[in-house]
Amino acid sequence: MIPRILFQLFKVLLPVVLTVLFIVWLYSYYGAWGYTVKNLSEFFKLIGEHFILVIISMFWAILVGVTLGTIMTRKSMEKASSVIMAVVNVWQSVPSLGVIALAYGFLPVIGLSGIGMVPALIALFFHAVAPIVRNTHAGIESVSKDVIEAATGMGMTKRQVLFQVELPIALPVIAGGVRTATAIIVGTAPLAFLIGGGGLGFWIFTGIALVDMSIMVAGAVPVALIAMLFDYCLSLCERFLIPRGVRTDEIKMAS
Amino acid sequence: MGTMLSLQKVTKIYPGAGHIKAVDELSFDLEEGEICTVVGPSGCGKSTAMKMINRLIPYTSGKIIIDGRDVSRLNTIELRRSIGYVIQNIGLFPNMTIGENIAIIPKLLKWDKPKIDEKVQRLLEIVNLDPNEFRERYPKELSGGQQQRIGVARAMAGDPPIMLMDEPFGAIDPINRAHLQNEFLKVQEKVKKTIVFVTHDIDEAIKMGNKVCLLKDGKLVQFASPEEILTHPKNDFVADFVGGDRTLKRLNLFTIKRAMKKDPPVIRQDETIETAMNMFSKIDAEYLIGVDGEGSLTGIVSKHNISGGATHVKDAVVQTNAWLNGNASLKDGLSEIFTHDYGFLIVVDDTRKVLGWLHTEDIKETLKG
Repeated sequence: MIPRILFQLFKVLLPVVLTVLFIVWLYSYYGAWGYTVKNLSEFFKLIGEHFILVIISMFWAILVGVTLGTIMTRKSMEKASSVIMAVVNVWQSVPSLGVIALAYGFLPVIGLSGIGMVPALIALFFHAVAPIVRNTHAGIESVSKDVIEAATGMGMTKRQVLFQVELPIALPVIAGGVRTATAIIVGTAPLAFLIGGGGLGFWIFTGIALVDMSIMVAGAVPVALIAMLFDYCLSLCERFLIPRGVRTDEIKMAS
Repeated sequence: MGTMLSLQKVTKIYPGAGHIKAVDELSFDLEEGEICTVVGPSGCGKSTAMKMINRLIPYTSGKIIIDGRDVSRLNTIELRRSIGYVIQNIGLFPNMTIGENIAIIPKLLKWDKPKIDEKVQRLLEIVNLDPNEFRERYPKELSGGQQQRIGVARAMAGDPPIMLMDEPFGAIDPINRAHLQNEFLKVQEKVKKTIVFVTHDIDEAIKMGNKVCLLKDGKLVQFASPEEILTHPKNDFVADFVGGDRTLKRLNLFTIKRAMKKDPPVIRQDETIETAMNMFSKIDAEYLIGVDGEGSLTGIVSKHNISGGATHVKDAVVQTNAWLNGNASLKDGLSEIFTHDYGFLIVVDDTRKVLGWLHTEDIKETLKG
């Protein structure tokens, strides 16, 4: 028993420890530590901008994605949903840099500024919303018809069926979409700098332009850490939100 | 006991090609506490007929009356909450524990928590699952048979006077199926619900129903007790559907107790051998049934088996398996008679007290009516 627990702990901790060691080594090797300390106030400003970019676009992507994905599964929306799905599928294949560039080029056409944090947020939002829409739709569609028939036959209203049955059962699939979306947003956020959106991309691109590894690493390493942090937070949320009965792991089979 | 459920010329026409009548002027009345099995070949409209009762499928014309109230005038949601609903694939909610699944309707009906908890506890006991063990488990962790029991418990949770069951045991293997059927009949004896039970299996229909409603192409062919359907099938279709062995099927409808003779040749085992010998010659029997002081079965005494050494009946008694509980079906009884060489079967009650004995002639008499 104890060796098994130790092994599990080892399995979880090892990658974390190795990554931290690698990052510390990278930091000191390129002198990024010194650069960060010297520009501490700018560092915090960039981190703050980065978090704003990720959290706000994430918030809207989840809100709009889940809502849209859910509406698409309603009976009256069958035709519209196939159209939306087609758009979403095409949209998802546009690369990150492309989305940023599109925001820069397209927003002025409809009379908005293509530069600054707002266009960056819009670009991130559009890039991340697709997998959430897709997974929400797929997750709800995959709920067994028997379960819905039982719920309806027992006298649940449509709203109760949706909130007490369909959405909770679809949650693992929806959560998968959210994780994909987070990965996309965290990965794309540094590019926001290119259209004046701020964030840690500033140091990364500056470092590249000046061929100064210390600046580049001082930006790149926090970006990686933020990505890991968000992934960890999401897995925690999943553990709290997803009911045990529909989790794919941890299911004890009847003996 | 008044009429609980009444269908009056209920018709369902699906719009589209040919205006086919899925259910055509179906009428029947069910008394409180009766099980009506709706049976027929696939596509006969039996599921449609059932689902019109809780308005999962709206009916085109006719009237459905539950306990004196016209279903079409009731609020759909409230109507459904007052009708238990069990489907073939159970449809337990995987995101909820067993306890939460059963508590669904009570919660929708806004019962207070202690009352809900007590109900869940009681229902789990009724369906023979240990509440402490199962309450916190999830549907995935249960076997198919266990899940279906929860399905039944869940449907009964809101104390509905009426239950609709759509092939509830259809997806369960034959052995567990028979077990669940018997168990359900026992539960029904306690709860006395009015039940509409859809099945495609005529044997199940006959076993479970107080009334059998036989449908063909949406039309009612015969609505009668299982006994009536088997003895007097209305036409060739019914006769065909119940099968050529319908007389044998009737064996399931009777208990051994009903067919047996109540004059078995019993002998107390503390009697002497002479008494036994006298009995043998007096009643011209091959065997006597040995009992103890309380009248409980101890074994069988054979005329040919009495050796010189024995002084008392208990020395000559031989253990036997040729006995059945009086509540078993005649079919089992007949099978047991043929299994043993005695030519009869000893009928006992739950405490193994001898009630009577059963011969093939008794079965014949019973089937004649």
